[in-house]
Amino acid sequence: MATFDKLNELRNKKEGLKLGGGESKISKQHESGKKTARERLSMLLDEGSFVEMDAFVETRGIDFDMQKKKIAGDGVVTGYGTINGRLVFVSSQDFTVIGGSLGEMHARKITKVMDMAMKMGAPFISINDSGGARIEEGIDALGGFGDIFLRNTLASGVIPQISLIMGPCAGGAVYSPAITDFVFMVDKTSHMFITGPQVIKAVTGEDVSFDQLGGAKTHNTTSGVAHFECADEESCFEKVKKLISYLPDNNLTDPDVVECKDDFNRLEAELNEIIPDDPNKPYDMLDVIRKVTDDGEFFEIHEGFAKNIIVGFARFGGKTAGIVANQPKVAAGALDVDASDKAARFVRFCDAFNIPIVTFTDVPGYLPGVKQEHSGIIRHGAKLLYAFSEATVPKVNIITRKAYGGAYIAMNSKHLGADMVLAWPTAEIAVMGPDGAANIIFKKEIAQSEDPINFRKQKIQEYRDKFSNPYVAAARGYVDDVIEPATTRQRIISSLDMLASKRETRPSKKHGNIPL
Amino acid sequence: MRKFIVNVNGNKYEVEVEEVGGVVSSRPAAQPVQEAPKQETVKAEQPAPAPKPQGTEGAIKITAPMPGTILDVKVNVGDKVSKGTLVAILEAMKMENEILAPQDATVASVNVTKGQQVNSGDILFTLN
Repeated sequence: MATFDKLNELRNKKEGLKLGGGESKISKQHESGKKTARERLSMLLDEGSFVEMDAFVETRGIDFDMQKKKIAGDGVVTGYGTINGRLVFVSSQDFTVIGGSLGEMHARKITKVMDMAMKMGAPFISINDSGGARIEEGIDALGGFGDIFLRNTLASGVIPQISLIMGPCAGGAVYSPAITDFVFMVDKTSHMFITGPQVIKAVTGEDVSFDQLGGAKTHNTTSGVAHFECADEESCFEKVKKLISYLPDNNLTDPDVVECKDDFNRLEAELNEIIPDDPNKPYDMLDVIRKVTDDGEFFEIHEGFAKNIIVGFARFGGKTAGIVANQPKVAAGALDVDASDKAARFVRFCDAFNIPIVTFTDVPGYLPGVKQEHSGIIRHGAKLLYAFSEATVPKVNIITRKAYGGAYIAMNSKHLGADMVLAWPTAEIAVMGPDGAANIIFKKEIAQSEDPINFRKQKIQEYRDKFSNPYVAAARGYVDDVIEPATTRQRIISSLDMLASKRETRPSKKHGNIPL
Repeated sequence: MRKFIVNVNGNKYEVEVEEVGGVVSSRPAAQPVQEAPKQETVKAEQPAPAPKPQGTEGAIKITAPMPGTILDVKVNVGDKVSKGTLVAILEAMKMENEILAPQDATVASVNVTKGQQVNSGDILFTLN
């Protein structure tokens, strides 16, 4: 064969590869509201930046006529590219090739780019659209999953890992996204579950639709498996790009600093009036957050799940910070099982990737109730304490109102190593609320008094005057300063600036044992 | 399984006998009859019936997000509500939690009254 023919052969092969499973399969993919694996990568990455690898890889399977079904690429497109100029490694499953099913070589392509992402210290983004394990390849397919899970775990805390669910993701396949840092799902077209509705019907008799069982809404509100619910694939990619902008490339670098035009010393007079006079009245903590961040921007994560706590990214003076805040508007801002899990995982992400943490505390306590106790609020609540204690990144805490009992300790308190605790004058920092405390301390006196109702009221007021304020804690140094709410932004920026060179070490160990 | 009541010296015993199918060559030694636990005669006190819901049940249910006391009911049967309309205030954890309508709808039933204690998951309203 002449060199000219060899070149032609290569060109023809490459043209063929681009079609994946063929035109009819591609139009079927489009009809179901989904883009193809390659279209997705071109939407996610900077134009023309994608470089494909392993396009010629094909299955080695020979059982069940696999030779006849084999298509070069083996159902996944892998390689690297850039997002706003920053290197990322990607894999995108191709549903048009044998249903995007995961076989031995398919998995090997994915693990190859994962290994490279770790060596180069660049984020790894995986787009999932697969029917699951390729049954024809048996244990080799299963082994492929294991190889991916292992790398997901080894890469955890080294490089940011992001999973985009853009089709089915069922059975073993779900555990790769589950280990990664952020999971995006698209309404209607994406599903995640261990076993599908048919199996559930057969085993437990429960009737459930695909969407109810494992749709984007379910996982973003009920289970908390997914962090972002997107209306369509386009908005999903935009959101991923935005997320990446807040993150560093790996655990040894810092997030990019963006130019900040917002005044560092901006005073927000409205914050002086945001806390209602009546401690039983709620307010929206998101209003507080948006008043102090750069340009009022806040990138919320897990927006629909455990809404009694808010987590997400923002910038202060151009630098990324992770925000954790109680939301008094939902369930009184009490910490429950889900809220503890949500916040603890976020705090650990920030700590792993050198992102300072700013908390806004208004917490009445851990949520009481038989259901909470039996769901293991002790075990789950402990995660939050553990995560804040373990974190060595700069930690700033703003106490806006209630900070009671164990929840006060858990919410980034001085005792767990917070570097700067600033309280608003409206703060109530105490072992418990005035009502409960008066009932316990003055139990005998109340019972013996001639007018128990009024006596009790009087004692509650006494307790409130004496302890429901920030000054008792400030007198002990548990609060570094009591500040005027309007000055919150400048105090946060000043604190983070001062803390930028923070160095704190922990005893060397293999790893801790967080209560899971 | 068959049940017998056996009276021995004025003591009442409840005995259960199970028939075993097939040919049994040997039988285990008879076990001494155990006295059955005495029947509980006093029935558990029934909880007070919940107030009857006003109106007929609708398709959309608004449930209590946490245990607490209904401080105020803001809507009546037949009222039109839009997404985010305040329908009730639930005091829990010493906080006046606002219960909002999940979508545009008409109130089909009001299942709670002012001052009522509710548990998480209890139906407060139904909408159509």
